Amino acid sequence: MSRRAGCGNPADLTLVARDLEKRFGHRAVLRKASLELRPGEILLLEGRNGSGKTTLARILATALREDAGAVTLDGAFVRAKLQAARRAIGFLTHRPLLYLGLTPLENLEFFGRMAGLMDARPRAERLLARFGLTEFARVPMEHFSRGMLQRVALGRALLNEPKVLILDEPYAGLDEPGVTTLNEMLREARERGAATLVVSHDRERVASLATRSCALRDGRVA
Amino acid sequence: MTALSVLAKDLKLHARDARFLATLALFSLSLVLILSVAFGPLFDDPAKEASATLWASLFFAGVLGLTRALDLESESGGGEALRLTGADPFSVYAGKAAANLILMAALFLLLLPCTAVFFDVGSLDQLPGVAGVAALALIGYAAWGTLFAALARGLKARELLLSILLFPTLIPLWIGAVKLTRSLWADGTIDPVSDWVKIMVLADVLGVALAAWLYETIQEAEE
Repeated sequence: MSRRAGCGNPADLTLVARDLEKRFGHRAVLRKASLELRPGEILLLEGRNGSGKTTLARILATALREDAGAVTLDGAFVRAKLQAARRAIGFLTHRPLLYLGLTPLENLEFFGRMAGLMDARPRAERLLARFGLTEFARVPMEHFSRGMLQRVALGRALLNEPKVLILDEPYAGLDEPGVTTLNEMLREARERGAATLVVSHDRERVASLATRSCALRDGRVA
Repeated sequence: MTALSVLAKDLKLHARDARFLATLALFSLSLVLILSVAFGPLFDDPAKEASATLWASLFFAGVLGLTRALDLESESGGGEALRLTGADPFSVYAGKAAANLILMAALFLLLLPCTAVFFDVGSLDQLPGVAGVAALALIGYAAWGTLFAALARGLKARELLLSILLFPTLIPLWIGAVKLTRSLWADGTIDPVSDWVKIMVLADVLGVALAAWLYETIQEAEE
């Protein structure tokens, strides 16, 4: 695993963030943070608590707007083609981003349809089976454990086989079988050419998969 | 397709929230009952008092419904996930507005017979007219309410903001609904107050047009 954040040929880059800045009140969280993601790579992003990893992940996933700087996807500004960019990005964050009143199958089917998938239901069933949730596929999720919600949330992020995966602490709450399944799916995503950013403190778990790593310090990616 | 999926999802979420539905029904029925007791037992102008009671109850229960719809979107980030799917924002709005309209229509169907019985007003041949008035009022309510709910989402004082925005905006719709319903129940015709139909149609069209123009901007302002 290389430690270098690296600069490549622009044509080879999927997602590029340049000089991102973000402030919350008087506190500058990102200060000219730049990052590049290439097809077929898994980049591990590390950093201390409060270093701005989640903020950076949210900006890359278009969930949050940067104060300055820009993000491009395949050379086009994501803000200029926002809906298309969103369909190309799978995002997992601390909150499950699911409807707890619906079942896992209903959630995945719904989000699949919203992403324009014609075969959302069979895909959802396959993903739930891989995450060992077939037995709970038709149970509303109000009383699901953190780990079960995380599995469904991962299913949501991976459902449409996005070109870019932004996964913020994907191992949180997962048991060993869940970790194994996630790593298998990340390997498959890498093989089909997806660019993946994993924000994690679990270096050991992602070390065998990550092709590069970088860290966020003082609002910059190093 | 997107709008239909959003509509089905919202209705499913409401239908499974039995505690919310019971609260909504009890709250609105209590309002009708309390106001009928307050105005009665000998009504001065039953058509006027009944129409005011019906529409006041629908208004307050509607705010409760919109607030709950807001909570369902924000409690575990489902609304944010929906925004990040890249689905067409106006289709999302249309689906949500249709779900709010259906919820309000169900409430109307519950309150109308109770109001008619408690105040002894209305007849079956007036029903199509009253249903038409309800359609005009509730379409406007859903159109503006869904737009304002999106505006309030993510804010700490969202219930307060929603009420502050809704009250003045819906005044023309609700005055029109009260006047038209009263005229139907008292005289069997809307002729003396028919100008209110035009005002209500205008308010409905304005609500939908504004949503078509602004919904995406409002949705992205959540960031």
